[in-house]
Amino acid sequence: MGSDVALAFDLLAFTSVMVLIVLGLGVIASMMGIFNFAHGEFVLLGAYTVYLFESIGLSGWVGILAAPFVLALVGLVLERLIIRRFYATPIIAMLGTYAIGLAIRETVRALLGGHYVSIAEPLPGAFTVFGLDFSIWRTVIVVTTACVIVGTWLSLSRTSLGLQVRGALENPNLARACGISTRRLYAFTFAFGAALAGLAGALIVPLYQLSADIGTRFLVQAFLSVMLGGVGTFEGPVLGAAAVGGLTAGLPWVVIPVLADPLVFVIALVIVKLRPQGFITQGRF
Amino acid sequence: MLTEGESGPAADAAAQARMVKRRPPARRVLPNVEWVALAVALGLPLVLGDRTDLVTLATNILILSMLAISFELCWGLSGIMSFGQALFFGVAGYAIALVGRDLDFSDIWAVLPLAMLVGLGLSALFAAFLLLGRKTPTPIFVAFGTLTGSYAAERLVSGWQYVGAGNGLSSVKLLKLGQYEFVEGDAFYLLAFGLLLLVYLAARFLKRSQLGLVLAGMRQNEERLAFLGYRVQLFKAVVFSFAGLIAGLGGALYSYHQGFIGPGNMGPGLSTTAVVYCLLGGSGTLIGPIFGTALVETLSYVLSDVAAIRHIWPVILGLVLLAIVMFQPRGILGLFVSERERIGSYGRRQGR
Repeated sequence: MGSDVALAFDLLAFTSVMVLIVLGLGVIASMMGIFNFAHGEFVLLGAYTVYLFESIGLSGWVGILAAPFVLALVGLVLERLIIRRFYATPIIAMLGTYAIGLAIRETVRALLGGHYVSIAEPLPGAFTVFGLDFSIWRTVIVVTTACVIVGTWLSLSRTSLGLQVRGALENPNLARACGISTRRLYAFTFAFGAALAGLAGALIVPLYQLSADIGTRFLVQAFLSVMLGGVGTFEGPVLGAAAVGGLTAGLPWVVIPVLADPLVFVIALVIVKLRPQGFITQGRF
Repeated sequence: MLTEGESGPAADAAAQARMVKRRPPARRVLPNVEWVALAVALGLPLVLGDRTDLVTLATNILILSMLAISFELCWGLSGIMSFGQALFFGVAGYAIALVGRDLDFSDIWAVLPLAMLVGLGLSALFAAFLLLGRKTPTPIFVAFGTLTGSYAAERLVSGWQYVGAGNGLSSVKLLKLGQYEFVEGDAFYLLAFGLLLLVYLAARFLKRSQLGLVLAGMRQNEERLAFLGYRVQLFKAVVFSFAGLIAGLGGALYSYHQGFIGPGNMGPGLSTTAVVYCLLGGSGTLIGPIFGTALVETLSYVLSDVAAIRHIWPVILGLVLLAIVMFQPRGILGLFVSERERIGSYGRRQGR
């Protein structure tokens, strides 16, 4: 019983990380129809921000709070300079964002000197409920993810900005005709997605050591999650991430670990093949 | 009567005047590039002589060119964005390494066809899954399908003890022709060159054939071609499978030449390197990807000696790719080759 709860908590924590990463990717893919190959590097930059703040002597908390804003700025600049040229050609966008990601990743690798850097958890230790230990930091991640999901959903469904976003998603031309600046909206969306990636990176870096590949290890899973859930919806990528995250964390308990890893991909691909529109059908944000 | 009078010699003269006035077709660049490439490739062993490291580099370029051509067939010819071309390359490399290790067999007449068969079979499987089916797949799905396949295979192999796990398979048995064993050097260079020439000619024939014409139409407007009754996805699947065959051949040669094959040789890393080769050189020109391969590999060889640049070489590569995608999507050869020549012409030539 106790180990089951612990396992469920581990599943939940990993799934939260996946959701956090996928949410930003899904928002960008839904809005502009491009799959951002540099998303893993945005996660990496979020983690690197925490490292930078710690190395100049500030507390890790400052870095974690700053990471989303730093990444929003990075996202905004990249969108204005580069990404907006790719909206018409999603395949070329993959190549372009891949190139951006490669440049960022290798720059950070050179800066880190190829080393792995451990970042301590800002809240170390565990708390005990009914005789079971729960890691505090993983709990923080789960709670933060829940807050981000609720906050994003509320701002999409309750605010006027959310209405504009939904309108632009439904019919960009009509939205423009109604006086909504889709240009600004796209820039905002991209910055928001990048900020979410930065937050994810800042939160997960204590769990995994900081290395240049911290973001890319989740990237393929994240893409599959978005496709699995359905592009153009809010709930879709979240559900997809929950499914892929759950499978990734759960399968090694069922089959031998060597097979579990590729099996997740195969299962996800087959589902996407059978149901290309995703779990949630497009059109309802 | 008047009309008959007009269709006489006077009309012929007018027609001839029109013929003269018509802009002469732009000078063809690609054949010249092809001849130069052939001459350079043939002359290289003579020039390099006993610089064995450079001969090895040149052989490597020839082998990786097969991977580049394999990607070119997918992207440049049929518009399939494949982020997993290295998968077929790597799996074939592993297959012949295992045949060498477990069956102690490496005769050229059997292992190279085997590698091609492995590449063909695997890519046909992928094509059947990704491209064929009742619902037309989106290009995004195909791109992610190939990427995922490549990534999953890399992860599987790097955890699988039987195939050497993360260390890969080293000391691959040497390729044999009768009693002769191919080691690194001029003989292997000529072998790789001969095979690349065959591959290139086959791809060139494919591009200029009637199938190539269908593919050219497909690149222009896939939907319209489908309305005309062509089973577009089937054509794509055929070309994709053929590209897999070429990648398989390249992978086997790579494995024999390096004496090593590892999980990284089938992952997205090498797959995207193939994309860089192709786009840098100029996709759609067929010789462009070979040019791109030579350029990238030579530069990275030269720069690896310069300590200051070695670490940022991948950054430069990324920025170059970004610049190409943004400003010069036709690659370096695209600067010299007219759009008409890039697409190719299929009608009967004038003046024949």
